[in-house]
Amino acid sequence: MSIIEQVRKNVYDGDENNTVELVKKALDEGKTAKEILDDGLVAGLRDCGDGFEKGEKFIPEMLMSSESMKKAMEVLKPLLLEGSGGGITGRAVLATVEGDVHDIGLELVGTMLETAGFEVRNMGPDVPTEDIVEAVKEDKPHIVGLSALLSNTMDIMPDVIKALADAGLRDSLKVMVGGAPVTREWVQRIEADGYSEDAIGAVKVALELMGAE
Amino acid sequence: MTYYMYSNTQEVTPYERMMASLNGEKTDRVPVNFYPRWAALEYVGATFKQAWDDPDIYVKAQILAQERFQYDCIIDYDMMGPVEEAIGAKLKYPENDVPQIAEPLIKTKEDMKRAKWKLDPRKDGNMPKVLYAIRRLKEELIKRGRGTQHVPIMTWGSCPSRTAACLTGFKEWFLIVARDPDWAVELMELALDGWLQMVIAAWEAGVDCVWVNDPVSARDCISRDHYEKLTQPYERKFIEAIRKETGMNVTMHPCGNWHDRMDLVYQNQADCYFLGPMDIELCTQKAVETNEKGLSRVKALNGNVGAATKSTTDGQTAVPYATTMKRGKPEDIEKESKVVIDTVEAADLRCILGTNCWDVKGSSFANRDAMVYAARKYGQYK
Repeated sequence: MSIIEQVRKNVYDGDENNTVELVKKALDEGKTAKEILDDGLVAGLRDCGDGFEKGEKFIPEMLMSSESMKKAMEVLKPLLLEGSGGGITGRAVLATVEGDVHDIGLELVGTMLETAGFEVRNMGPDVPTEDIVEAVKEDKPHIVGLSALLSNTMDIMPDVIKALADAGLRDSLKVMVGGAPVTREWVQRIEADGYSEDAIGAVKVALELMGAE
Repeated sequence: MTYYMYSNTQEVTPYERMMASLNGEKTDRVPVNFYPRWAALEYVGATFKQAWDDPDIYVKAQILAQERFQYDCIIDYDMMGPVEEAIGAKLKYPENDVPQIAEPLIKTKEDMKRAKWKLDPRKDGNMPKVLYAIRRLKEELIKRGRGTQHVPIMTWGSCPSRTAACLTGFKEWFLIVARDPDWAVELMELALDGWLQMVIAAWEAGVDCVWVNDPVSARDCISRDHYEKLTQPYERKFIEAIRKETGMNVTMHPCGNWHDRMDLVYQNQADCYFLGPMDIELCTQKAVETNEKGLSRVKALNGNVGAATKSTTDGQTAVPYATTMKRGKPEDIEKESKVVIDTVEAADLRCILGTNCWDVKGSSFANRDAMVYAARKYGQYK
């Protein structure tokens, strides 16, 4: 098994104690930070996401994979920022919409996006629409992620999208939505750009949306 | 109000109907219990915070809404918070939602010393307020029932895994499950007693039955293996302790999708299971199987007209979950209700008609009426 494959498997296994050592070994063997990130860490996290979809991995295991990746990123981030292999993946502003105090899913999505190299501003639960618009003006994110657990608060999502459009910000970013009552039909109806049923899927969607820009 | 009071004087009372079903017995028809927090508050036009600040508003809401909608069970405050707050957690109180943990109390093992694990529900924190509301509900029900109680009161208890997760924060809880199962066990062991004492005190104050729930051990959260070895033993311990101390019928709500572990859930020995967004046929079949093997004592299934979406299940569901209570029409409620009644009663279990989680905020009165109507139309035993 190549060193990159070992890094990938290590993230999949969520073995946080060995990640740093393996990443350092990969660098010693001449692998670039970008290669280790893309083919090792992100690939491992994707494998974990596939495992989640198949019912082989669950939230604790997913979080352990995420922790492994975070530790690896402590080593890789300075190298990536040096310009040798790239920079941050993108910026994201996340919020649970106003009136909805649930944030477990939002937390998980934030963690997963951070570990995938995003700079994340997690505004937490029950965020007024105007605050989201202000945060977008300040951070100029590539992605805005909106969450709602309740079927009555998901009605706020189109209001946020409209407020972003009214502020002239809609075309500069992609809007992702998620939460238990959210469906693909809902995403189409409110003209959001992406949707995921879970946190790992959200990373995939965010990366796809970034690529689509 | 006179018109609505009429059916509270009918031959079989909601109390008799509900308690019989929890014991696996039949009366005149299938009862309805959809955990009517929002129905009650919306009916009197109060926010949750108003009703929390003034328990008499909550009592009025519960009493008047039951008279209006004619469901068969009312609830006390029925929420996470009073016990966790008394243990030491800081809560925030949104204007119109139940309290939430503002800051996790336990971030390290050292923090466990800051927690107050031995609680007195009659003195500590806001627990006495909940007990006051229960006593007032009881008084009002007896007064309106002309000396006899005509509607049962249900209270709520948090399973130890949920309480532990509230104290540590959900993300941290799942990391503890992965990294340090022994710590998870220690937390659940300590967390069990606070809610047990609260349920006992609620029973002494006048509640008639209890439901407990666990949203952190679903298939959406942890593996079957973690469930079986870590959290399920504490669910069972909690339920058996409640029964031993109070003798009340216990309903358990496995919140979320538990399709791959219903056989284990039923072994928690609850009398009734309030089903989440799951396949009613599969849940009914599993209940019959575990009962036949002598592993469970399931007498009734409560639920599970759609309040969530198909995306929260693994796609096995036979019931079309499309946020029905919130977005569906009365005929959708009737149609789904019929499926649930027919499926559960065909297995000779008692059906208690309800949603698949708490009553959905903002559901139309017509949809809530439709569920009671469906119980009358399709749930007659004679």
